[in-house]
Amino acid sequence: MSDHKERLDQSLSALMDGEATDIEMHRLLKEVSEDSELRDKWKRYHMVSSAMKGEAATASIDYSAAISAAIDEEPAHRQSALAVFAGSAGRFAIAASVALVAVFGVQQLNSPLDSPAAVSEFAGVEQVNEENTGPAIQFPSGFQPIINARTVSAGGNNKSSQFVTPVIEVRQQAKRNYSEAQLRAYMNDVMAKHSNHAALNSNQGMLPFARLNETEAAAKKE
Amino acid sequence: MALFRVGTKIKVAALVAAVLLHGPLFAAQMESAHDLMSKMAKASRELNYQGLFTYEYRGNLTSVKVAHGVHEGQTYERIQHMDGAQRNELRRTDNVDCLRTGDMLLRGSAYKINDQSYARLEDFYEFHIKGQGRIANRQVVMVHVLPKDKHRYGYVVAIDKQSGLLLQSVLMSHAGKPLERFQFVDITVGGSMADLGFDLDSGSFTDVALDQSNCIDDNRQITTSTSNWSTEWLPPGFVMASHQIADMDGQESMMFTDGLAVFSVFIDVDKQRSLPAIDANLGATVAVLTKADINNQEYAICVVGEIPRATANQIASAISLSSSRLISPSSSISP
Repeated sequence: MSDHKERLDQSLSALMDGEATDIEMHRLLKEVSEDSELRDKWKRYHMVSSAMKGEAATASIDYSAAISAAIDEEPAHRQSALAVFAGSAGRFAIAASVALVAVFGVQQLNSPLDSPAAVSEFAGVEQVNEENTGPAIQFPSGFQPIINARTVSAGGNNKSSQFVTPVIEVRQQAKRNYSEAQLRAYMNDVMAKHSNHAALNSNQGMLPFARLNETEAAAKKE
Repeated sequence: MALFRVGTKIKVAALVAAVLLHGPLFAAQMESAHDLMSKMAKASRELNYQGLFTYEYRGNLTSVKVAHGVHEGQTYERIQHMDGAQRNELRRTDNVDCLRTGDMLLRGSAYKINDQSYARLEDFYEFHIKGQGRIANRQVVMVHVLPKDKHRYGYVVAIDKQSGLLLQSVLMSHAGKPLERFQFVDITVGGSMADLGFDLDSGSFTDVALDQSNCIDDNRQITTSTSNWSTEWLPPGFVMASHQIADMDGQESMMFTDGLAVFSVFIDVDKQRSLPAIDANLGATVAVLTKADINNQEYAICVVGEIPRATANQIASAISLSSSRLISPSSSISP
């Protein structure tokens, strides 16, 4: 039992980090509905996580009991024989369409630019290594299971520091007297100038201004 | 009998007419992807519009409110970032009639590199119309722009059917992954300067690039000041669009475009020898900084643009001082 519990704990923290597999997620959802201890732990993890992020950790209000009570009170739908049949047929149709989507998805992967669906999947920049950037948010793109969700707190927003500053890698660690601030200032400066150039010379309209990040904009005003 | 013959004649004539009419129609459809692109280039600078767009990369999303108006030959822009730190910008940009290299290329005109060679957008991209859609509650035509080589990225763009404005642009990597997405969520086309909320008399506009030096002349070329630096290698199709000689800080810059993609080259005299060689990126923008030691003077050469990193590296490593100037580089570079 304790072994099982330990595994659940591990799954839970993986879920908090947004790294839980589908199987772990399913198991957790199943267990958490019965195990109040696990439920409390999940709640605690969220409180700790929000406290670490400096959000006001108010005494958490538990809506779950009220919500399940409300669901219990709702009258159940009476199912006619036809509805049962339609329901199972519908299930089959969904399964078939999932299979279809999977095939479609594979085809789309093979023809990169021909796939409008790929637009919604922001998997990441090819040259960037994952350590620097944290997990990119995966948008539901049709052929991914819907269960690929994360807990709210693990949406990567605590790792979004790259949003305001460029990711910079020093290629040769030579004995040079540069400071990081100096480097960042230089990078921000050239990127801002480039955006201005691009706005005048490319045909992307206002797009280059969106590429300007906050630091650059601040530096420009000085 | 005669009636019958007349009927046949009419039938034949109708058939001929159908074939003749259909031919040009078909051809028009084939070339319209490129027409759309040139219409887009024109629309984005000549129309009045205001709206809200989003910009997204790697799961980050920002939204920006913009207004664009043309009044007495000048372009007025208001850019307001809707999230993060307060950032508002009022710009008065240059002459609408000033065509730049990028416009020229996108409008389908050949840009004259020299007497023998011309740059054409179609030589480096394929354009495919991929049907219709709806963006910002407007009917759009989706166009896929595929690069023909590894030195530039592809785009998925959505162009407003009615106005020709660019309503969506997704930069695609060679693996078919989106690197960034720009998309309007709401846009109003047309309206007077007052409707757009521009107060023309206010002195709060920042004038940008009012010098016309980089406009294209009648000879389909731009006049740029000559640089002491030369690019030994450029990705095919890219031409210089502007050049700024060394400024107060001794920084010289050049800008290149193939009509869609843009990259800049910055050359600094690194007096303190303080900058290391670095690779940086922000969204789809990469920056490659390399060092060059010429005649005991250290230079920092930085290539910044929305191009593949390998290409940026190749450009950066092929930039050198023109041999004729090697004798006294510092005198012409330093302020």
